[in-house]
Amino acid sequence: MTRERLAIDVGGTFVDFVSLDEDTGEVRIEKSPSSGSLERRFFEGIDNLAVDLTALNTIIHGSTMVINTIVQEKGARVGLITTKGFRDVLELGRGNREEIYNLFYRPPAPLVERYLRLEVSERLGARGELVAPLDEAEARAAIRQLKAQDVEGIAVIFLHSYLNPRHEERMRALVKQEAPDIEVTISSEICREWREFERSSTTVLNAYAKPKLARYLRALQGELARRQFPGALSIMQSSGGITSLQAAREGPVRTIASGPAGGVIGVAALGKQLGERNLIAADVGGTTFDVALIIDGQPLEQTEHRINRRPVLQPTIDIVSIGAGGGSIAWLDEAGGLRIGPQSVEAEPGPACLDMGGELATVTDAQLLLGYLDPDYYLGERMSLNVRRAEQVVKERVAEPLDMSLIDAAAGIVHLANMNMAFAIRNITIERGRDPRLFTLVCYGGGGGLFAGFLLNELDAARAIIPLNPATFSAWGLLNADFGEDYVRTFLRAFDAVSAAALKSELMELEAEARGRFAQNGVKPAQTLVQFHAAMRYYGQEHTVKTPIQPSDFDDGLVSLRRRLDEYHERSYSLKLPEANAEIVNLQVSIMGVASKPIMKKVSSNPSGSALKGERGVTIRGYDGRFSAPVYDREGLGAGAVIEGPAIIEEWTSTALVLPDQSATVDDYGNLIMKRAQA
Amino acid sequence: MNKVDPITTQVIRNALKAAADEMMISLIKTAHNPLIYEVQDFGLALTNHRGEMLAEGSGLPGFMGCLGPTVRSGIRELGAEGFAEGDILLANEPYETGTHISDTAVYMPIFYEGKLVAFSALMAHWADIGGKTPGGWCPDTTDIHQEGLIFFHDKLVEAGELNQTFMRFILKNVRFPELVHGDLNAMIAACRTGARRYVALCERYGASTIQRAMDQVFDQSEAMMRAKIRAIPDGLYTASVNMDHDGVELEKPYRIAVAVEVQDDEMRIDWTGTAGTVAGPTNHPFIGTVAMAETVLKSLTMPFDPMNHGHTRPLTVTAPDNTAVSPHYPAPTDSYGYVAEMVVHLIVRALSDAIPDRCPAASYQMFGCVFYRMDPRHGEPFIFIEPLDGGGGAFPHGDGPSGLVFVGNGNAPNTPTEVIEGRYPLRVLRHTFNLEGAGAGKYRGGFGVIREYEMLEDNILIQTMNENTINKPWGLHGGGDAGVSKAIAWAGSEREAEITQRVYFFGPFNKGDIVTQISTGGGGWGDPAERDPALIETDLRNGYRQPGEPGAGATP
Repeated sequence: MTRERLAIDVGGTFVDFVSLDEDTGEVRIEKSPSSGSLERRFFEGIDNLAVDLTALNTIIHGSTMVINTIVQEKGARVGLITTKGFRDVLELGRGNREEIYNLFYRPPAPLVERYLRLEVSERLGARGELVAPLDEAEARAAIRQLKAQDVEGIAVIFLHSYLNPRHEERMRALVKQEAPDIEVTISSEICREWREFERSSTTVLNAYAKPKLARYLRALQGELARRQFPGALSIMQSSGGITSLQAAREGPVRTIASGPAGGVIGVAALGKQLGERNLIAADVGGTTFDVALIIDGQPLEQTEHRINRRPVLQPTIDIVSIGAGGGSIAWLDEAGGLRIGPQSVEAEPGPACLDMGGELATVTDAQLLLGYLDPDYYLGERMSLNVRRAEQVVKERVAEPLDMSLIDAAAGIVHLANMNMAFAIRNITIERGRDPRLFTLVCYGGGGGLFAGFLLNELDAARAIIPLNPATFSAWGLLNADFGEDYVRTFLRAFDAVSAAALKSELMELEAEARGRFAQNGVKPAQTLVQFHAAMRYYGQEHTVKTPIQPSDFDDGLVSLRRRLDEYHERSYSLKLPEANAEIVNLQVSIMGVASKPIMKKVSSNPSGSALKGERGVTIRGYDGRFSAPVYDREGLGAGAVIEGPAIIEEWTSTALVLPDQSATVDDYGNLIMKRAQA
Repeated sequence: MNKVDPITTQVIRNALKAAADEMMISLIKTAHNPLIYEVQDFGLALTNHRGEMLAEGSGLPGFMGCLGPTVRSGIRELGAEGFAEGDILLANEPYETGTHISDTAVYMPIFYEGKLVAFSALMAHWADIGGKTPGGWCPDTTDIHQEGLIFFHDKLVEAGELNQTFMRFILKNVRFPELVHGDLNAMIAACRTGARRYVALCERYGASTIQRAMDQVFDQSEAMMRAKIRAIPDGLYTASVNMDHDGVELEKPYRIAVAVEVQDDEMRIDWTGTAGTVAGPTNHPFIGTVAMAETVLKSLTMPFDPMNHGHTRPLTVTAPDNTAVSPHYPAPTDSYGYVAEMVVHLIVRALSDAIPDRCPAASYQMFGCVFYRMDPRHGEPFIFIEPLDGGGGAFPHGDGPSGLVFVGNGNAPNTPTEVIEGRYPLRVLRHTFNLEGAGAGKYRGGFGVIREYEMLEDNILIQTMNENTINKPWGLHGGGDAGVSKAIAWAGSEREAEITQRVYFFGPFNKGDIVTQISTGGGGWGDPAERDPALIETDLRNGYRQPGEPGAGATP
């Protein structure tokens, strides 16, 4: 059996395939469009890569199935059972007005209509104590009523179940008796955090996505078995850890950010290889621009995120998506101001230059006019670009109305797009208490190479890296993931009202539970690591800071814990208040089953092919005129090669632009390391 | 003067917006007071050297519009040469800053190459300002000095040097000095962030390019606004309403009246007919009245365009002196919010005759209470502020949103039951829609909310905030009015009583006592007879309407 593993990453435009030979480090890549049946695309790509499934031991899958089900609102018919007096919580939400100028602001409609939200008598108190028992007759009646309404799934959420799941667990047993065919999700098995609306939202989303994901995974599993695949199919989760098929099927909400997580894990892995601990991951696709931070080698996480404006209480890599990319539309507002995005053209017809009927001017059209893209070498030689069409739309939609030359208009479009991305990265970094100048920027995705040089200058960052095969980098990232499960539990206690012993025993209990559930996933890694974190804050604050902790911290009472809060708070917000009272908000246990990592193959310093392909005229805003830039073939560049800007470096899925006053060095692994001349 | 090219102009505009956002991030991340980081009870802006707004951060509607006038008031008071590089000033006299003294403005002149080029400014609700009610929302003051410390363009930092005496004086005169100190530091840091970004922009483009570019942007925004106003039919549109009471004279409703005149590409909003300055603290300073009018105009015409001074040029706002929307010293203004909110709703109501498709019916207004126990002899002290969500007015193209916070509370989320019960000696018995009192219509108003609290301990008091206990949110174009909001004390007992006054003390409530808050829905839009049968079907299926109710269609 060859030691080969395969990663399959589904994006908005393409499905990317990366196969890795674990012995040689040889990587092969393939792309196929992500339109149509995903099951079919999955196996099409495998066939195109000519992977021998019978000799494969691991497939890692980043899937958009759950996010698409939720965004397109094509999930299951779900009923909700909750505590008496609280059926409207799912629709009441938190009542806040996110767009304060919008007179027509409206929160998202609930995924479960009111007539499918039923109440049952039961009540727990704020410490999990019994106030009123579960009325089983009412409970059975509610289940039958939902069954009569033909629901496919039932979500159960009772108040304070995050402290005491007893009533919810009994409810689950009753559903299994009364309606064994209906899928049931109880809130306490999905999250153990307080706040009933957020927990309801999470539980309902899980029930909503479950049947469709289950069908998809069943189809993959069936076909893989038919093709005699002997290994394991693992699924990427939002947290950046992979999990087993059966765990993914039970907890679809844990895989919402499955897609973009792979790239971030890849950036962390690349950083480790290169000795960089603080990185900005910037994934430039056709329609979105995803930004995440890696601090001290770890992707920044959050315990909550939103999907289509609906909250999800699940640990997730903190990824911010902005509507910006090659497909972003350049348009004029009513006052004649030039705007770029946030809308972008659909994959079909795409930018005008693809000549598939696109009528709008996009960033890609402008990049083509400026000479950054080769009209005859787009996606290798698989596609060609129509310069005429690009000229026409940029002229009609931007240059003429603004009374500018075609080239000035194109340069303006690219400049504004760059600046929007730079402002976004800047604010995201600062919002998380960090200074972008101290980071290394990693630009990947099909469009990463054309933005990297500009972002490097605008952000004044230390350096920018364009990894090898940037367009399929997210799929490569999947190969670097470990098995991981995160468990979060609300444990709200003031420092002056809790003992170290109580905290430690709560932590140990959570660890035991986490280990038990991890074992049930059916994953048996060679090595298991456990990490502990606490989210804490000063009394009266809303924001918490998350700090790593150790069970041994409690040996000196709460002194170490308190010191960590002050230290991390100061690091994030330049402020500490050692005298103020503080509270612990939640405890987290992360279990990591360490998977073997791909070795990165070194590139030769004397590649066989020739690097210099020719020259092309390019225009860059801020530099006079059109000047000639050498065009290099990335595969022809050996380790140690240094390219002075201006220059263009092409590979089949992506193009990189090195600006004047910048240089790009090829490192031992084939990554392009870009720096400013003076830096 | 050379025209700045359109690309550079747009980059500068975006960069100033990003700088204002960065000020906001800095403020939210370092403030200690939940009114700032959660309720977003603040506004931030960058202005040019004349005090004209270049870009705003987010915050409460209307606040940003107060910052330009505040800076201009400072320029009038001190003269342009009265500012030095590194100064940070405080101002809160409401007749010059627009709201109430708790919203103290902190602002900073920005210098480049020795010349005054801009200001960074913000206004945020302080945790306390030393008035008669802790936290500053006095329900019953009769002059401004009862409301707290007054600042009038006073330098807390002079040329970069903190005035220690001034700081100590402030901290000695407020109730939560640690919180106030932390927030003040956050506000100073935010102003400095804005200044730093502005100077960096000057270094890149030159101060004069920025000024010229933004003058062009002002002209563009003005032109755009003029085009929007021209599209509104010319005419005189009026609306008026009686408010419940001013908090002091409880039996006396008072009138707010507006006339909106649209003529070609200009709009004039006049408040003649509004009651004279009222005895209690519900007066709304004129600068705030103007800012609210600007906000409404922009919300109605181009809600998503980043705001600047140019948008406001085609609008004139006038009022006779000494009314509830144009009070003078020493009128109390601490609960100005009731009127501020009504200013918004009334302008929308008046304009609904001109542009019906852009004007929703009236929403419920400020309603809620504060549960607290201050005296440790009666149990552990706590304070829990609970504004209740309510029903939004119906839209011209859809039902009103249910259970949304009132406009003046911005993006503030409600407190989850699990959090309330985890922190305070209360148990929530119900948190559900109030299905009564949403205005019927082709599109019905959104539903209000019922929240019922059982006391788990003794000696708990409440402070009340209420409106719409008499005046009802109106419907439009044939839509029905909504009902009234009410709070019921000792529900289900012999002492059961409805609370309509605004007071600092109500109670005490003891273990087992129940308080129920019920907010009303929003007004309806259009004739109920025209309601789409599919919507009627949805309402009946979900129990939102019972067969035979108005707007519920025929009994199936």
